Amino acid sequence: MKKILGIDFSPKAEIALLKMMVKDAYIQYEKFHDDLDIRDNDMIILWMEDRHEQIDQKICKLRYACKFQNIPIILMHEQNRDIASQPFIIAGATEVLSFADSAAACRNIINGYLIPGREPLPEEKEYLDPFIRNTRHILKTMAGIDAEFKKVYFSNTIRIFGDVSGIMGLSGISEGTLAVTFYWDLAKTIIAKMMSTEEDLIDAELIHDGVSEIINMISGTTKKDFVGKPYHFEITLPSVIVGPGHQIGYFQNTTAAVLIFEVDGQSFALHVCIKPKTAAV
Amino acid sequence: MKLIVADDSRLVRGIVDKIVTALGFEALHAANGKETLDILENGGISLVLLDWNMPVLNGMDVIKKMRSDDRFKNIPVLMVSTESEEDRIQQVLTAGAQGYLPKPFTPGQLTEAIGRVLPDNSRP
Repeated sequence: MKKILGIDFSPKAEIALLKMMVKDAYIQYEKFHDDLDIRDNDMIILWMEDRHEQIDQKICKLRYACKFQNIPIILMHEQNRDIASQPFIIAGATEVLSFADSAAACRNIINGYLIPGREPLPEEKEYLDPFIRNTRHILKTMAGIDAEFKKVYFSNTIRIFGDVSGIMGLSGISEGTLAVTFYWDLAKTIIAKMMSTEEDLIDAELIHDGVSEIINMISGTTKKDFVGKPYHFEITLPSVIVGPGHQIGYFQNTTAAVLIFEVDGQSFALHVCIKPKTAAV
Repeated sequence: MKLIVADDSRLVRGIVDKIVTALGFEALHAANGKETLDILENGGISLVLLDWNMPVLNGMDVIKKMRSDDRFKNIPVLMVSTESEEDRIQQVLTAGAQGYLPKPFTPGQLTEAIGRVLPDNSRP
């Protein structure tokens, strides 16, 4: 049974939504508040009344509460006229649907987003496990932090809903991209612990620098584990991207594994997009 | 006693600075290989802690320039880098570094590595 969380729905909108519901889905309704725990849901559907005020902030907060999981956030409204969906998509919504559209079309779209992600194949585990092990080792060694690996999913989207990403291009026997993405607060906590100093003393430049160094260390230590294997790669100088909802380009026809870690209830993500040139994996 | 902390990461320079200052060194910071060579020109350096991948001039090029210059060829170099494959380490040692410490490292590991490359009479 799929769990869907409907947020801010009026009784009338609840009835309209039922017509669009797929089989094997259970909807629970709640009013929006800042402490919603939405991680166990398969989908969030947010109802938008006529007024749009603060809807993008709500979407941002919901996306943050997803803790890097690929939970679809559908924004639903009942207006006939077209609404520019871009601001909502930028804020973190996956799709914007209207009750004015056909119920069958909406049902198909909702159903599509409820298709479950797949588990890693054995050959994918072979290259993901070293990244998990080394990421935990680096944070433990440099910051005394215990990072818990929570889950992995595969994504072919280039949207990343964090605040800051460190990115490393890979070349050589394998090609691809590695990216580590943090929300600002956790990045600041980690960098402060790495420097054995107070968080108040950590400025934006140090966060950029630290996130860059973390992806540098993850890449460098993991490449050693791949010596003699088709996943071996060479690294370059890392780059840093800052801004909510930023985008990272991957190679065409590749899928990124998104590894989610948790530190004291806060999450960060490592994106691993790696493709051996010679072997078909 | 002065040493150079050469790393393009201000974060890493800050981490290393705290450790070596506690050991009694005065740390001079360089953000790339060229800055490292500029500081060496001023003299009085006992040890260089050198990152490999840096902009402008990388760590390997710095080692090669130091070893071909009579003024700097005897100054110990400890390479501190994420490049930790065996052939890379051999490459660095062959080029003239006295030691190699892979990142990530603990304060204890850095202290031990400095102890291994620096003669007893050159320590603070």
